[in-house]
Amino acid sequence: MKRLVQALLVLLLVSLLLFIMLRIVPGNPVAVLMGEHANQETIDRVTAELGLDQPIHVQFFRYLTGAVRGDFGTSYSLGKPVSQLIGSAFLNTLLLSLAAALFAWITGGICGVLAAIRKNSIADRLFMGFSLLGISMPVFMVAMILQYVFAYWLHWVPISGTADWRSFILPAIALGWNSAGSIARLIRSALLDILEDDYIDTARAKGLSKTSVLFRHALRNTMLPTVTMMALQFSALLSGAVITETIFSINGIGRLAVQAINARDVPLLQGTVLFSTALVILGNLIADLLYKVLDPRTRKEA
Amino acid sequence: MLRKKEKQIVAAFEHRAGDEIGEQETFGVLMRRMLRENKLAAVSLLVIILMFLCMALAPMLTSYGETDMDLLNRLQPPSGAHLLGTDEGGRDVLTRLLYGSRVSLMVGIVPTLLSMVLGALLGVVAGYRGGLTDTVIMRLADVVLAFPSMLLAMVIMYTLGGGLFNVFLTLTLMNWGSVARIARSETLRLKESEYVEAARSIGVSGWNIIRRHILPNCLPTLIVLFTLNVPAAILTESSLSFLGLGIQPPSASWGLMVNTGRQYLYNAPWLSFAPSAAIMVAVLSFNFLGDGLRDVLDPRQRKQ
Amino acid sequence: MKKRKHFVVCLAAVLAGIMLLGSAGAEEKGLLRTAIKGDITTMDVAKTTDDYMIPMNVFDRLFETRVVDGSAQVVPSLCAEYKVSEDGLTYDFTLRDGIQFSNGNPLTASDVQYSFERLLAIANQNTDIPLEVAGGQEVMDKKADSLSGFKVTDDTHFSVTLKAPNAGFLAELSSPAMSIVDKESMTDGFGTDPAAMIGTGPYIVTEWITNDHYTMVYNDKYWGTEPTVKKMIVRVISDANTQNLMFLNGELDLIDLKNQDGAIIQSQYKTGYADRMVSVPNVGMTFLALNESNEFLKDVRVRKAIGMALDVNTMITALYNGDAVRENGIIPTGVWAHNDKMEGFPYDPEAAKKLLKEAGYEEGQVSFEISMDSTASGTVQLVGQTISQMLEKAGIKATVKSYDHAAWLDVRGSGKMDSFVARWGMDYNDPANIMYTFFGSVSNTQHRSLNYPDEEIIKRVAAAPAIIDDAARMAEYQALEKKIIGEDAAWIPLFAEMHLYCRGERVESFTPQWAGFSDFFGIDVVLKD
Repeated sequence: MKRLVQALLVLLLVSLLLFIMLRIVPGNPVAVLMGEHANQETIDRVTAELGLDQPIHVQFFRYLTGAVRGDFGTSYSLGKPVSQLIGSAFLNTLLLSLAAALFAWITGGICGVLAAIRKNSIADRLFMGFSLLGISMPVFMVAMILQYVFAYWLHWVPISGTADWRSFILPAIALGWNSAGSIARLIRSALLDILEDDYIDTARAKGLSKTSVLFRHALRNTMLPTVTMMALQFSALLSGAVITETIFSINGIGRLAVQAINARDVPLLQGTVLFSTALVILGNLIADLLYKVLDPRTRKEA
Repeated sequence: MLRKKEKQIVAAFEHRAGDEIGEQETFGVLMRRMLRENKLAAVSLLVIILMFLCMALAPMLTSYGETDMDLLNRLQPPSGAHLLGTDEGGRDVLTRLLYGSRVSLMVGIVPTLLSMVLGALLGVVAGYRGGLTDTVIMRLADVVLAFPSMLLAMVIMYTLGGGLFNVFLTLTLMNWGSVARIARSETLRLKESEYVEAARSIGVSGWNIIRRHILPNCLPTLIVLFTLNVPAAILTESSLSFLGLGIQPPSASWGLMVNTGRQYLYNAPWLSFAPSAAIMVAVLSFNFLGDGLRDVLDPRQRKQ
Repeated sequence: MKKRKHFVVCLAAVLAGIMLLGSAGAEEKGLLRTAIKGDITTMDVAKTTDDYMIPMNVFDRLFETRVVDGSAQVVPSLCAEYKVSEDGLTYDFTLRDGIQFSNGNPLTASDVQYSFERLLAIANQNTDIPLEVAGGQEVMDKKADSLSGFKVTDDTHFSVTLKAPNAGFLAELSSPAMSIVDKESMTDGFGTDPAAMIGTGPYIVTEWITNDHYTMVYNDKYWGTEPTVKKMIVRVISDANTQNLMFLNGELDLIDLKNQDGAIIQSQYKTGYADRMVSVPNVGMTFLALNESNEFLKDVRVRKAIGMALDVNTMITALYNGDAVRENGIIPTGVWAHNDKMEGFPYDPEAAKKLLKEAGYEEGQVSFEISMDSTASGTVQLVGQTISQMLEKAGIKATVKSYDHAAWLDVRGSGKMDSFVARWGMDYNDPANIMYTFFGSVSNTQHRSLNYPDEEIIKRVAAAPAIIDDAARMAEYQALEKKIIGEDAAWIPLFAEMHLYCRGERVESFTPQWAGFSDFFGIDVVLKD
């Protein structure tokens, strides 16, 4: 439980840091909100109404007391409570992330396994070539190309939005592309290590077929690092989601953060970043716990 | 992705406790071995050197200025006069690519270097001193590591404003955390080694121990980490510029060029392809070099 | 081996499935799909000066400005008749008979009074027009509950008395700000809850999913002609390129091309979709604002030199493919009192250099900053960069610096911005809308970083709307324009670009709003059968 306390402390520090960074920025968000045709007196008045002229520690305290109750303020640019906006956006990001993780693991897994089995053959080089494309292409590049080729040129799926499940296909691939590349390499090297290990040779000497050796022993032992990787993926997925959601116009947390920045919408930016960070911290906690549970070394000791 | 690599690197060095001190092959020998055995790493090193040359010699390689606009020749396809065509302002794409390399490569290297230095120092101090120093530094690192990288970058850029210097600052602040962690765990192990204990018992000061024994032994790990973090920094800068938060026009950076070129994918695809290819080449080169370095510096391989 | 074959077969099946399911069905009849770059903040016109789509379509106003025979005219809408008193202070209005709100409530004069007073009571935006009514200030200061200048005679007759005569009053009444709401059914949810948007207009709002889309559906109680568009879906697509792809893919029926670069419009739209392009002048203008507090820019010779160093015609050709109109003054093309004989600064870089020398400056001595808003469109950014390059040829160092939106507004509002590329769109068809905003008071000219020093002229600008005689007023506005720009070069007018749209396959015709707003009236879209 020490970890839980640590995690909460980190979260508190994160929110303090965020708060300070966002409030010291020059420029009045109210001026942005009210637009080109507003006059100075109105801007000043609304600024006072929103409590934005209060000293910073007063503002932070108000924010914290609100946050504990679930109230993260109201978005300047969208006029709605931040918690409501994040709630509806989170669902889309979650679906997108799950689809991306699914794509990354299936594709990366298959490539990695096949490459390991046929080490140094042409198939190996081909699969590893794909994985290289995976890790070197920036998210926006992948998204651009996918959108252009499959949605626009071939009309196979819609270009944007979340109207139906088909709209998630391209964004999921774009988001999972990087991970697929590194997962493929990870699985390949982990499998190679294990396949070349002594006890596998022993099992094979006993007469077990290569396939059953593969599935029963090798894969089970790669489960540990890979499963813990999954929980740690949150951070990477949320990062990638920022760009993917913008290009495919998906109303998720990533796009919300970008819109918040463009609109100088401090409560919204604060809420989305805080939320994302809390998710990452949660993911790390889960990963640590999983590691403890699954690690054969700790299990043996227990 | 960083944490995965973290674990791989630390795991690779797990067995080193015994053999750092004394029979180390010199760095030069290791490098030569790598270049001999690992063709990919050798080619990558060559490519990186080439990129640096382009970067340094940019003004000599092109007759156009970085921001010379030619409104009547916008979006021209590659031709004799413009080897990679012109962009939406009539500027020569090749020129922009060369000058943009300065930004993109420097942004990959300088902040990573700075964050290495910062992170290494903080991590080693945390590991060696322990106690409150350790807790404070590690909590700070946790805070930085808790943010999804893009969001952290976005918030810092928002606070500081756009522009090259702020991008440097942002990337430095983003990356020191993982470096510090690795440096700290290395330090913790090295602290227990016999040699360090012996040095301490004769009264060698903490700083001298750190300087002479701990830091040099962390160095290989850090070098590998450096080459692997550079591509991440390049990609982050290009994503930031893509969102309009990084380099501002009319300056050039590869990410910015990809973003502005995106609208013209239909009728002027070279605008996005050229900088995208450049990004990919840079990222791959550093990745291969890092893998190559890790292979030679990894004792497990050496035993075989 | 077997596993791989199975895998390939499965993959093929999945892809085939996607393709088959992917074939789009025929779109619903009467449906119009369009997109906006960022979500609206509110549906309540009292709280916004940008989000006019829903107020325009769900509500009506006493008058409308519509393009009749090529020029913008004020035509009666909810108002059937009106009379103006001799001194220009009192207007007697008669409402049309039998108009209902979408919930069945009849439209009455007290609804009109309530609509005026509401803007003042909320005091958030759009208070300028109701403030002109006698007693307006008292209502806004919460010293009075109702407008002393507003008298309701019966359900369809009322009169409005102004504080000072304003010949542009009827034009102002057609602005979306003056939408008429239903006093009886007003609730707190007005502006956020679609069900609370009760108006007399042709549409009602059925759905608003924040940051995703909103939907409007035909109001069958509407008093006017039934439109062909029975349902409008407006989606939030923040990425311009995605919007472009969607339109080309047939997922949008109408696209606003203001977010697209001129080169794309030229190479894609004008070639493949030439017969479906719709263009309307953006009634307003783009100009280079100059701060007369700046040490170099306070000399009128420097300002005139800047004007002569800019090759505006090339900018228009190269950046806008010729889709822009040269502007030379303050009153834009399409606005009443526009002076098409007003001469601009001739493009003459040599003469510019001479003028600079006269002012005592050698090449490269004059230097200042052009501050760009980073959220401005790509084309406007290019305009800024182009200006900088052109000025350099004349020996003036104008450095382009990019600011993010809020910082930019801040610096400009403080009166310290050296120069910037500004765009102004007219809210209503009267010169006061632009002239007063920039030159109508000392604080106005400071907050726009112009710092125009001539207080006599400023007083005259403020007094102009009270001149009742049309001919005299026009003469006064044109004289002021000649002084402020022609003599004093307070800013360098550039151009007014055309606002371009493209119709999708299903749209027969589209008439944009008279001023070139992005927001449009659903009744102005005609769908094919």
